[in-house]
Amino acid sequence: MHEKKKSPFSPRFTTASLALIPAAIGINFVGKLVVSLLKLPLWMDSIGTILASMLAGPWIGAIAGAVNNVIYGFQDPISIPYALTSVAMGVTVGVMAHYGWTKSFWRVIVLALVMCVISTIVSVPINIIFWEGMTGNVWGDAAYGIILAKTHSVLLASTIDSLIIGIPDSIASVIIAWGLFKALPKNLLQLYKTNTDVEEF
Amino acid sequence: MKSLSLYVERDSFIHRVDPITKLFYIFAAIIVPFVMKDLTVSIVCAAVSLILLAVGKVLRNAITVFACLFLIMITIFLIQALANINNATVVFSISGIHFYAEGMINGVKIIMRMTDMVAAFLILILTTKPSDLVEDLIRAGFSPRIGYVIMSIFQIVPHMAGAIDVITDAQRARGVETKGSLPVRIKAFLPLLGPVVLNSFMNTKERAMALEVRAFDAKNKKSFLNEAVNFRHAMAYRVLFVLLAVSAVAWRAGGVLL
Amino acid sequence: MKKVIVENLKYRYPAMKQLALDEISFEVEEGEKIGVIGRNSSGKSTLCQALVGLTPHFYKGTYGGRVIVDGLEIKHATVSEAALKVGIVFQNPFTQVTGAKLTVYEEVAFGLENMGLSRAEMIEKVDRALHLLNIYPFRNQNPFSLSGGQMQRMAIAGIIAMRPSIIVLDEPTSQLDPQGTEEVFSAMDELSAEGMTVVIVEHKMEKVAQYCDKILVMKDGKRAAFDTPAKVFSRDDLSELGVCAPVYTNICKALGKKEGAYYPVTLAGAARVLGARR
Repeated sequence: MHEKKKSPFSPRFTTASLALIPAAIGINFVGKLVVSLLKLPLWMDSIGTILASMLAGPWIGAIAGAVNNVIYGFQDPISIPYALTSVAMGVTVGVMAHYGWTKSFWRVIVLALVMCVISTIVSVPINIIFWEGMTGNVWGDAAYGIILAKTHSVLLASTIDSLIIGIPDSIASVIIAWGLFKALPKNLLQLYKTNTDVEEF
Repeated sequence: MKSLSLYVERDSFIHRVDPITKLFYIFAAIIVPFVMKDLTVSIVCAAVSLILLAVGKVLRNAITVFACLFLIMITIFLIQALANINNATVVFSISGIHFYAEGMINGVKIIMRMTDMVAAFLILILTTKPSDLVEDLIRAGFSPRIGYVIMSIFQIVPHMAGAIDVITDAQRARGVETKGSLPVRIKAFLPLLGPVVLNSFMNTKERAMALEVRAFDAKNKKSFLNEAVNFRHAMAYRVLFVLLAVSAVAWRAGGVLL
Repeated sequence: MKKVIVENLKYRYPAMKQLALDEISFEVEEGEKIGVIGRNSSGKSTLCQALVGLTPHFYKGTYGGRVIVDGLEIKHATVSEAALKVGIVFQNPFTQVTGAKLTVYEEVAFGLENMGLSRAEMIEKVDRALHLLNIYPFRNQNPFSLSGGQMQRMAIAGIIAMRPSIIVLDEPTSQLDPQGTEEVFSAMDELSAEGMTVVIVEHKMEKVAQYCDKILVMKDGKRAAFDTPAKVFSRDDLSELGVCAPVYTNICKALGKKEGAYYPVTLAGAARVLGARR
């Protein structure tokens, strides 16, 4: 089998990869459900998006992220602008996975931190535009209030607000997604590799 | 089976408006208050959106959604009242904590914008069948493949959530803790999620095959079994909403230039 | 007229060493009903998928030989083009529901929408498919509210509505209860009455023997036999092929009762030879 080198952005909109998206969003939803069931202090609402990005690359990750927030928007319209954050997460994980950042545990931790930083960079401006920099998470917003009172910097307060839950949440979500990724059967992973063509005997 | 959609079947003028025109309304309802940054405008926009919800006979359904946002709104108001950068005028103090006028006005502005935005989206969500929205978008040139993905989520996700209930019971029967200390509960997380994920990913392969053999990949233009929602003055309303948004931006730009 | 021609078909999945299909050849006449049997992972499902183009177009991998279905060479057609000639029904009724449609009627029309048919054409074809599969009364229900047997008949209707002249069924009853199984088999009688060419993978040998004109036995990706049910089930090496004869055949084998040169394979056949004893 010849594997052609392709950019991570070469489109992979096969039916198999598109069909991944509903499952990814289902997992996001189920993750959220399980977290509330077990009363864990995290969000864990992007495990599916991360997993889909690892499997099928940045494009599918981006679509899964965008569609995820639009669908959540049907329950909670506040989440719609954060589609941009989800898209950024999907793209980041998809590109990094393409370049081998899912190969070992420590690389996966790096992936989680990069993903967290990038999603914070995208979500802080949204927080500032819409909600003066607040996130709606009680712990984060408390920190926001304290820092804002001390430093008068909305940007700093908002960034810390976002990171307080963001860092542990990203690490936990990425590790879980990676664990699931490794548990999937090999022949299933093969379906999402579009850098192969039909060969003749 | 519970659906993810919040669509409420009613007979109202708003229900008869086509989905794309509602999207134009959302566009205007977000742009105008955010661009004009004025308290009165924000209050008027929020009021208009709420009135439209009432015309659509879905105000009561909308209130349940707003109830979830109530805590966030209170938090925003308090933090703004106490810690806004422009705070200067103390209105009152409770045991040494000062509440400032600037922050409170800003807090109300944010809450009004939030109300307006959420209400505008709810007009679409509560009075439009998701399938009508997606089919109209496809007719207007949106990707039919991604349209399919969006539609299928409304039914597939509740199925997976249902599977979690079944699996929780099964795992509990096998002795996996879903109560107890934090580390114990975290350890319980993977065995709960694992089977649902593996199963749902195996299912995606089968579903992808089933889609392909039903001409999902066909290159020709798709047709629709259901006819489009026919709303007579759609174009006029759309133009109106765009004009509103454009004039808000122009007003703002003019204000900056002058 | 030959509806299906398979010539030296050879296939290997990506990143696998073993061949999934190894030099398979056979032909099917118009209106014939072919049963495909064999052990698990003997290549039955892969063969079904090769008849509709999922192998190789969906799975990629390494491919050789030819499959010609109703005059169309699968290797050079897309899966969507092949779908107009040959339909396929899978095991799991649940994963064949698109999930995007809120009623059985819309669900059955899904393929026709993708083909871009006019509304009038769609309605005519969907109505007919729903009546043929006997699920017209459920047309306004949510697809997920149906029982397994009803759901599987809906899947068949979704395929039949596209009017292929050949239908492939890959273990269509393996996840159904006995009632659902009966429903699907009586639906298949309707399809045969319509003159459709049928290829079916099935584990219930009594059904295969009763329903099929010919049987293709698969072993390790190879064609081990291709003959009438009587000839196939009368063979002595069935256990080597990983195949069990119908219970009627086994009874007659134990009693040494043949009908002509071969053992009977159906209840009626067994009754004839056993009844002749008295």
